[in-house]
Amino acid sequence: MFASLKGKGENMVETLESFAKFFGVKISLNKNFVRKGNRYFLLDERLRALAKEISGWQFAGAYLGKNKNGKFYPSSLLLFMITDQAENKIIVDDKAAWLFVCGRDIFKEGIMRVYGSKTRGAYTLVLNKHGECLGFGRITENLDEAKEGVVVENVSDIGDFLRRERTPKQ
Amino acid sequence: MNRYKMLGWKFKPVAPKQAIRVNVMNVEGVNVVERLERLGFKLEKIHFIERGYWVKRSSFSIGATIEYLLGYYSIQEAAAQIPATLFTDLKGKTVLDACAAPGGKTVQLADLMDNTGVIVALDVKSRRLNALANQLERCRVKNAIVYGLDAREASKLGVKFDRILLDVPCSGNFAMDKDWFKRRTIDDVHRNARLQRQILAEAAKVLKTSGEIVYATCSLEPEEDELNIDWAVKNLGLKTVEINCYGEESPTEIFGKRLDSSVRNCRRIWPGETQGFFVCKLERQR
Repeated sequence: MFASLKGKGENMVETLESFAKFFGVKISLNKNFVRKGNRYFLLDERLRALAKEISGWQFAGAYLGKNKNGKFYPSSLLLFMITDQAENKIIVDDKAAWLFVCGRDIFKEGIMRVYGSKTRGAYTLVLNKHGECLGFGRITENLDEAKEGVVVENVSDIGDFLRRERTPKQ
Repeated sequence: MNRYKMLGWKFKPVAPKQAIRVNVMNVEGVNVVERLERLGFKLEKIHFIERGYWVKRSSFSIGATIEYLLGYYSIQEAAAQIPATLFTDLKGKTVLDACAAPGGKTVQLADLMDNTGVIVALDVKSRRLNALANQLERCRVKNAIVYGLDAREASKLGVKFDRILLDVPCSGNFAMDKDWFKRRTIDDVHRNARLQRQILAEAAKVLKTSGEIVYATCSLEPEEDELNIDWAVKNLGLKTVEINCYGEESPTEIFGKRLDSSVRNCRRIWPGETQGFFVCKLERQR
């Protein structure tokens, strides 16, 4: 299932739109959307003009995510952008929230509320009790049936910042 | 230490306090201070910075919270929070952050600009550029563009800037490095001072007529501070501007050398409540 999150070739718009669709969100990207290496950015008119005029930039505007080994990893900004509209989301308690941003999966006991799909294989945003998006995961057990244990596998979370800082080679 | 005495400061060891700065652009409807206090942190408002707090007590790292990961605040030493606040009217402007990595002040600029206008952020070291990109991503900055470029080559961009932040590479100070006196020589200071003059000269080239430069170091050595500003005033067509911020008025006579009287507009911050710091605002002479 994870493979279906793969970026589709060189079509960056398709990659992002299909990512958003996993959560029931329809996004339309305008012409100010650019790809730099394996990373995607959204630039306003001024930044776009600058980026066009002066090549060699390394980061610009709103960072949306990257393709790594054929898989798309969204930025926290993109997750924030789709949170309100997303159909699939789970709210987790404080303990589960912290463990999730440390890269761990989610146990049934940590889930406070489920919106949208409860079906195994579906992707869902993971939100804390304040409604802030911490990342996303894949449902590994039907949420109506599972009584305990891991039910949502961590795919990507915002704790990646800390892990990146601790491992400078990545 | 004798040099500091000659500048009128009696040496005392200090232990700088950790500080944070709230990123207002990301916290609409969120009381960050209350949330951090609920996690067990004790915060105290920094009296000279609008959005800054000292961390008075913590049972774990202030960088290990969900609020940090969400970009609600940045960890930034109190004196280092001053330079970006000295600019007037940042919104919508074209701003150069000439020595940007690791990005604390770039994020602060974006926050003060409310993500409007453009920040051109430069740094010469590729590893530091990764740290800068991480900060921008974490804090959801949307108005910056980053180049791996030496600040001394900023004119290659062909852009004129409304505001220029020069948080220049410097010798640092003993408050942040307990081995500072063992590791630094006067030659290091002179080498840094030369580099800083080159950066100042390049900044003067790319500054718009009505533009502003803020120059900052975390060095206590006058060669990197007042003497460089004196040189800039006499050689680059720049003038200092009065600023109203924490710190002491800079001396205008240093080690027997009389400086331009306008150097007194600079602020020297001796270690105490903060680390050692120096800051100055410059404009074009008319």
